[in-house]
Amino acid sequence: MSFLDNQLVTIDAVLTKKGRELMARNDGSFQITQFSLADDEVDYTLYNPTHPSGSAFYGEAIEKQPLLQAFTDETQMMKYKLVTLPRGTSKLPVLSLGGNGTITLKQGASTTITPETLNYLGTTKTNEPSGYIMTLADSRFGTLVGTGIDTTGLNLANPVPNSAGTNLSVSQIGSVFTITATTLNQFFGVNALPGAAITTTITCVGRDSGARLTIPFTITKI
Amino acid sequence: MSFTSLDPQDVVVSSDSTISPMWSNSTLTLNAYYTSSTQESSTPGTFYLDLYQTASSDTSAAVQFSVAYGHISGSGSAYFNPSIPSKTPTRDIYGQFRTLIYGDENGQFTFGTLPSGSKDIIVLSVNRARFKESFNPGSLTLRVSHSGSSNSIVLTDDSTVAASSTYIGTSRVYQLLSGSANNVSSSAYTVSGSYGMVIPDEGLIILNPRALSLSAGALGGVGAVFNEYSSSQAAAAGLTYNINNRMIYQMLSSSAVVAPTCSLQNLESISSTYFFVRVRNSDYNYTTNPTVIDSNGNLLYSQLIYNPQTYITTIGLYNNSGDLLAVAKLNKPLVKDFTKELLLRVKLDF
Repeated sequence: MSFLDNQLVTIDAVLTKKGRELMARNDGSFQITQFSLADDEVDYTLYNPTHPSGSAFYGEAIEKQPLLQAFTDETQMMKYKLVTLPRGTSKLPVLSLGGNGTITLKQGASTTITPETLNYLGTTKTNEPSGYIMTLADSRFGTLVGTGIDTTGLNLANPVPNSAGTNLSVSQIGSVFTITATTLNQFFGVNALPGAAITTTITCVGRDSGARLTIPFTITKI
Repeated sequence: MSFTSLDPQDVVVSSDSTISPMWSNSTLTLNAYYTSSTQESSTPGTFYLDLYQTASSDTSAAVQFSVAYGHISGSGSAYFNPSIPSKTPTRDIYGQFRTLIYGDENGQFTFGTLPSGSKDIIVLSVNRARFKESFNPGSLTLRVSHSGSSNSIVLTDDSTVAASSTYIGTSRVYQLLSGSANNVSSSAYTVSGSYGMVIPDEGLIILNPRALSLSAGALGGVGAVFNEYSSSQAAAAGLTYNINNRMIYQMLSSSAVVAPTCSLQNLESISSTYFFVRVRNSDYNYTTNPTVIDSNGNLLYSQLIYNPQTYITTIGLYNNSGDLLAVAKLNKPLVKDFTKELLLRVKLDF
């Protein structure tokens, strides 16, 4: 007779910077309603389908890997989400932001981004029905507005203007996003000349596919 | 699909109590106390005296608790203003703690079963960062000596022998008796009542000066006589600080007999939310990790097309907006494929 392993895995979670911000706002936006899984830190080139001990050992090198503790910066976690796709999927979804590998705007200028998902559920290119989540890593650098998705039932909190203070992120849901660069000079160096640049990142995640893309967002001084 | 909604039954809130040593660096017992001459000579120094676990000039010095003497008539310290001689720091202290505990401006501190109240009190107010939420009842061992003599008593609270909890207003109160932590040596009060009271939820130990001023031996005191100068006398004497606060410090720190001792534990309730993350066999078997696909999105390994494997390392907890509110990491990658279902319990402390 042998015993089955009935151990329940318990993991301690930490609040992210965004989580602490929303908790401090006390407006109901700190409401955990869903979860997602990721395989951050895993290098699949370590997967070895020619392992001499057989298929049970293909992932041996990955399974033995020690992991880092959690970071509290929400933009540095959950980079590579696990997704649910039909069995037999050979081509995984990837995002396209209209060919933009980077976004550069002058102070006060705007641009519109329409994300698309490639290779999703047998289509070459599609707009995901549930839309996308776009995150501006430093909300002091501009405003982000998402449109095209009905979020009425989600009870979303309005983002708080963040023209000062620290580099908090802001997220929006939509199928089309408009980003406007800040007009403030305070984020540039004291003696910065026109043409000087500051950079943060924009991350887009497909709400259905889980595909993720991060690109730099640069603002130039006028 | 990359998000899974949590059902109401997947979220459970639980509270647990944790007990820790009271003092800085998780020290259970203080055997020495230090003061700051800067603090004592400042305006707050006329009200209370801060006690540190090491020299106040040391970078690791932190206030452990403060001592303050209060008198119902304001005796023992100089007036604020000579035209209103009855208003003094000691009167402020007495009134402040009377309001806090009794909530009645006509009340007096009553120790034990005495029919009448005490005109003065000694307050030991533990720093909030030390006592956190409450004292752990029964954990107190406090040695009080009379400076310059061999008189010494050891005190603890009566939580281990009291038949039930006693309340003054909303404050839970235990009486101070002779004994050490979890070991009351005598349940008898002195002729001046108990040695004081412990109010664990407010981080307060209130000593009874009348009991401590009794003679040593049969009467059970330490023979400490507190200064009851009128405010005018105190002003005439040029007292720039509360002379009784320094006397209390000397009573606690006197090593005339044995080493000074103050042992205490704190108690804190930690509320945790448990999220039960249920992963079905058909879910989360593919990954967006760029190391598993080529530049066109094709899987690098044909073995992963019909028997995909992923390795869970991170669990993200989100709100409806998709904001990542909390994150948990596993200690090693956890294999997931179409033959496995997982139940992970994620604990978030507040």
